[in-house]
Amino acid sequence: MFGKREINLSTKGNTGTLFTIPVIVALAILAAIAFCSMFAPLISPCDPYEQDLSVAFSGPSAGHPLGADSVGRDILSRLFYGGRTTIFGGIAIVLVTIAIGIPMGLACGYYGGKIDSFFMRLCDIILSFPSLLLAFVLVAGLGRNMSNAILALGIVYVPGIARLMRSLTMVERNKPYVEALHSMCYSDWRIMFIHIVPNCVSSVIVQITLNLGYAVLDLAGMSFLGFGVRPPTADWGAMLNEGRSYLMQNPLLALLPGLCIILLVVSINIFSDGLYRYLEPKQRKLPSFRAYERAMEKKRKKATKLQAEKGGCEA
Amino acid sequence: MGKYILKRTLQMLFTIAVVSVLIFSVVRITPTDPITSITRGKPASEETIAALKKEYNLDQSMPVQYINWVSDMFHGDFGKSYQYRESVASIIAVRMMTTLQLMLQSAVLIVFIAIPFGMLSASKMNSLLDQTATVTSLVLVSSPSFFTGILLMLLFTMVWPVFPTFGTGTDFISNIRYLALPSIALAAVHMALIMRITRSNMVEQLSANYIQTATAKGLSRPEVVYKHALKNAAIPILTVTSLELSGLLGGSVMVEKVFSLNGIGSLLADSINKSDYPVIQSLTLLMVIIFLLCNLIVDILYAVLDPRIRLK
Repeated sequence: MFGKREINLSTKGNTGTLFTIPVIVALAILAAIAFCSMFAPLISPCDPYEQDLSVAFSGPSAGHPLGADSVGRDILSRLFYGGRTTIFGGIAIVLVTIAIGIPMGLACGYYGGKIDSFFMRLCDIILSFPSLLLAFVLVAGLGRNMSNAILALGIVYVPGIARLMRSLTMVERNKPYVEALHSMCYSDWRIMFIHIVPNCVSSVIVQITLNLGYAVLDLAGMSFLGFGVRPPTADWGAMLNEGRSYLMQNPLLALLPGLCIILLVVSINIFSDGLYRYLEPKQRKLPSFRAYERAMEKKRKKATKLQAEKGGCEA
Repeated sequence: MGKYILKRTLQMLFTIAVVSVLIFSVVRITPTDPITSITRGKPASEETIAALKKEYNLDQSMPVQYINWVSDMFHGDFGKSYQYRESVASIIAVRMMTTLQLMLQSAVLIVFIAIPFGMLSASKMNSLLDQTATVTSLVLVSSPSFFTGILLMLLFTMVWPVFPTFGTGTDFISNIRYLALPSIALAAVHMALIMRITRSNMVEQLSANYIQTATAKGLSRPEVVYKHALKNAAIPILTVTSLELSGLLGGSVMVEKVFSLNGIGSLLADSINKSDYPVIQSLTLLMVIIFLLCNLIVDILYAVLDPRIRLK
């Protein structure tokens, strides 16, 4: 029954690897960005807030490796410090989403009934705003600054996580181990947070990494419109907005922070994709198995073609 | 079918009612005093403040203000702007056309470029074209629309100045050229997403058994791809495309700011920065209503195409 091929198909010893080449490259870029932002005070050549009008719009030089901006601040140092704000902002948004979305989804999936329909209607209301509009309105009401922008964007992402957590919990709730825990008189809290949550982590974590990429993009957008990070704080989105006014004098002012954002988000997306492939058992395949699949596919296509050349089947 | 449409319409009206309360109250919790926004921070005498309060209906209680706002909106009166001292409806009416045309041009790009490219890269899976398309769409998805806009602006002012990069023309025809770059910037993210979805749906269909049968029957490749696979892949592609199209409304805020267009998106951004609450609340509610209407139409179309939905 278990031929050579069959053993290959079984999941045992067929865990595949998270570290494919694109994921390694993405992780290296992420590590470099994280290093530069974390140690910004140590590696920055200048103070990111020190203005020196005599070097405004100057090109790359020894003192300023990437030149200086409209008021003579060092661009490289501002990029390092901007990375701090951008990454911190993205992570904070995701944390807000987790703090609200996970308990909400858990409660909906676990208790069902009125709690479920109340919170799901709430999610519907959030989803009835096109893209960032709800975040705009919240920021307009609460005041335009970074912490409000983080809170607003965190709320915008809640329905995604809450719905995912809800559907996962609904599956877990009916499994025998939950029944066993009930019979041992464990409290609902303990069952939900100590026993159900760990079983849902792998799916949730993929969604969270994906959200991190969107969070970075959207916070940059909010800062670009002047709703998020306020000048003179160094932030890639805010720097892009400042640089936009001086495109003709020095396009680097807008290009560099923009490229940093793209690099960061592409890396996060590739990592998230790799993580999904690794954690999704259907996608988890050894390279040798992939080669086998390709060979079979070729064979199948050849056979189909031959059949077609023979004049097609009668049926 | 009629029952389904009625149910969805009632649901939508309920959502609009809740959203209007939400928008109204969020805008009211603001720390900025409306009078300061009207006078632009200049000190005003007691009488002026009282007169302004009366002019803008600020002397009434919150629930009364809310009811006034909603009933006025039914009569086409969206309130009076703090910064322009004009009726909000007329400001929106003037700027609406630009945004609608911007969305229309982006929609054309999405439908006529993204979907065919997605199908092409699925039918030539793993070819050079497919790989280029996949990488391009990954980069486009990760690039904020305003940065794509800035890149296009730089490219078309310095390297190849064929399209204007600033402002708008006078009528629809001349606007097509003015809105070319903004619509590309606005559509880029959505194009990338839809290309990916089209590709993955087509790949799924093309690896199904009935495709093997069709090929074995001796049908030509175009017949297999466009007659057999496309029909089955069409429904999910249509749904996502129409949802993305209604999402263009939110994205227009940033793109209009980059290209200094006078649309309702840039109007919203300006109003938030200047605490112009009558414009913010009416414009947001209007955008939500347009968005929900689009979703309703999609849902109904979906039910028409797929009987399983309405039977649920």
